[in-house]
Amino acid sequence: MKRNVAIIGGGQTHHAARRHDVNQVEMVNEAIRAALLDARITIDEIDAVLLGNMEFFEGTHMTDCWLVDGTGVYGKPGLKITTGGTVGATIVCAGAHHVASGLFDKVLCIGFEKQEEGDTGAILSGVAHPLYGRSMAGAAVGYFAMMGTSYMATWGAKEEHSAMVAVKARQNARKNEYAHLKLDITIQDALNARMLAYPIRMLDMCPASNGACAMILADEKTARDRCTKPVWIRAMDSAHNEQFELDWRDVTTTRPIFSKVSAARLYRKLGVKNPVEYFDVFEIYEPATWAELVWYEDLSICGPGEGFKLIEDGMTEIDGPIPVNPSGGVLSTNCIGASAMLRVWEAALQIRGDAGEHQVPKEVNRALTTAYGGTNWAVLIALSGSSDE
Amino acid sequence: MTRELFEQELISMPMIVDVPYRFAAGKYMSRFLIGLKDNGKFLGIRCPSCNRVQMPPRIVCAACHVKNTEWVELGQEGTLAGFTIMYLPLTDPTTGKLHKPPFTYGSVRLDGCDSVIDHLVNIEPDVNKIWIGMRMKAVLRSKEQRTGDLSDILYFEPVEGQEKPGRQL
Amino acid sequence: MSEEKEYGPFEVDQHITAHSRYYAGKIGSLFYTTLRDHKKFLGIKCGTCDKVLWPPRGTCGRCFSQLSEADMVEIGPNGILETFTLITYHEPVHPRKAPFIYGIIKLDGADTGMAHFIDEVTFEQLETGMRLQPVFEEERKANILDIKYFRPL
Repeated sequence: MKRNVAIIGGGQTHHAARRHDVNQVEMVNEAIRAALLDARITIDEIDAVLLGNMEFFEGTHMTDCWLVDGTGVYGKPGLKITTGGTVGATIVCAGAHHVASGLFDKVLCIGFEKQEEGDTGAILSGVAHPLYGRSMAGAAVGYFAMMGTSYMATWGAKEEHSAMVAVKARQNARKNEYAHLKLDITIQDALNARMLAYPIRMLDMCPASNGACAMILADEKTARDRCTKPVWIRAMDSAHNEQFELDWRDVTTTRPIFSKVSAARLYRKLGVKNPVEYFDVFEIYEPATWAELVWYEDLSICGPGEGFKLIEDGMTEIDGPIPVNPSGGVLSTNCIGASAMLRVWEAALQIRGDAGEHQVPKEVNRALTTAYGGTNWAVLIALSGSSDE
Repeated sequence: MTRELFEQELISMPMIVDVPYRFAAGKYMSRFLIGLKDNGKFLGIRCPSCNRVQMPPRIVCAACHVKNTEWVELGQEGTLAGFTIMYLPLTDPTTGKLHKPPFTYGSVRLDGCDSVIDHLVNIEPDVNKIWIGMRMKAVLRSKEQRTGDLSDILYFEPVEGQEKPGRQL
Repeated sequence: MSEEKEYGPFEVDQHITAHSRYYAGKIGSLFYTTLRDHKKFLGIKCGTCDKVLWPPRGTCGRCFSQLSEADMVEIGPNGILETFTLITYHEPVHPRKAPFIYGIIKLDGADTGMAHFIDEVTFEQLETGMRLQPVFEEERKANILDIKYFRPL
């Protein structure tokens, strides 16, 4: 990178099923004020504001324009970015590019979704090709369900393994004051939950949350002068996929899977030989339990087909050797526009040692975050407490 | 003055955004949809570089950046690559038609094709009676009723006389 | 060798219908319930900028001060016509059938304007700077159309 970029502060709202007490602007503003306070910076010092959510989800467009009052971008340069589920991470990448370029020193990145206000089913159907697939759209749960049946058939995993992921996520969320679904559930609760689309049950799927996340990215001089615990963005990678190619649900496919492609490139950039040794914590984007198992494999945390054994052995628990999603993940909080950014922010909190009750009980120097979006493309960001390691 | 404890009434405004669209299918997609409508056939293309056969057809292979010119007529049979049993009602956003649950929905890879097609599967929604690797055949609407859309395929159906293998694939 | 057929353009008509619901928040709700129940208008004062903003909002966009219900002040009900126009074409999304007049009215005490219909007057009779008053619906529902239109004082 041309210049080093650090996260010097951030904030998030208390994510919830309902936020009737604030409108979209006011909700976004909560996260921004928290971030400015955390970074000990004022809005006047911010050089640019990048904002994103799911395109048109809430039935309002051009959110970069009309949320101006609350985002502090009045009179300043700013952009809106919408890239589907990955948007939170894409905004962080874009913010990092802005700072790394040398053209901006302090950039405010915001991801949000006031999900209850939108007709997510109808708008999400707009992702599908109008002439080939839109009539089947609205079966978003179905896509992950098919991943589940394929995974079980191929590798011999059982529904219990999905329940284990569901339990880990919500029990971790109970330690995260900002998480939406803090549930004291057991494996049996997960297996008894209402079936949505075989094998996905209610507790195997992410919720719809209202919330926002904001982070401030800065150049090295600002970070060293003003921040006691800057978190450095060491590498980013992302890989798009073609439309129609939904083969990722067939877990035996030999076609390039973009999460794998992106991870391989990122590891090369950083010289990672063994991600389990290199990274101390992972915050991955799992809209459904089966997706988490597949992420373990795509990130080479384990070999193909071994993901379910990893969860069975408790390796990815918050106090395990390979903690994954100590924050509770997307399964516990899903305000889609913010979800991918929350992965980065939560990983940053771990590196800073500021995650409170859900801080992993070991030294954290480096973290890997992932984001996932429609048409199955991925954005990966590697963070470190050090600017050169 | 008495102080009244009240919960503030929080106002919301419902809105309906209803947008009509007219999509042009483009050259290759038109040929595919017309092939389906007029002849009940599935047409794919083969990439000259990586040999992938893809349906629906597209002009350029995304991986190779090479123009696809070889059209491949695919059969009506294939293999079930993934499935689920939906317990949630699914409304087709293009017609407003509701599919009542439970129903089976799957991903079929037609013989000779590298990509899959997602569609309804006409089978009893019993997880013990469906397996990955099952042989499927497409059932189309009658010619008079076809409009040149994926819904011209009514559903996929298992080929007769199959038995669930002892060990799942 | 199959013969190349000229395929005509193939087009498909579709709809996307999305139902959403916008929450006004505490401040917005107070504005609307006051309008519905008392036929009064509330703006919000930013102490730093010394300006009264309509619509009322949680943050002053200019100075980024945080505002709350305690900062809300009564404005109007009358105001000054800042600008106006006559709509003479029809679009399905329009709330009224053309021709209709709408304009920006700066309510007394506010520093920013409100867009609304103007009626009981012809386009030729209107002039910027004219004083207007609101006409309310009998049955009000806590939305901006609780005001039927503005008319000259």
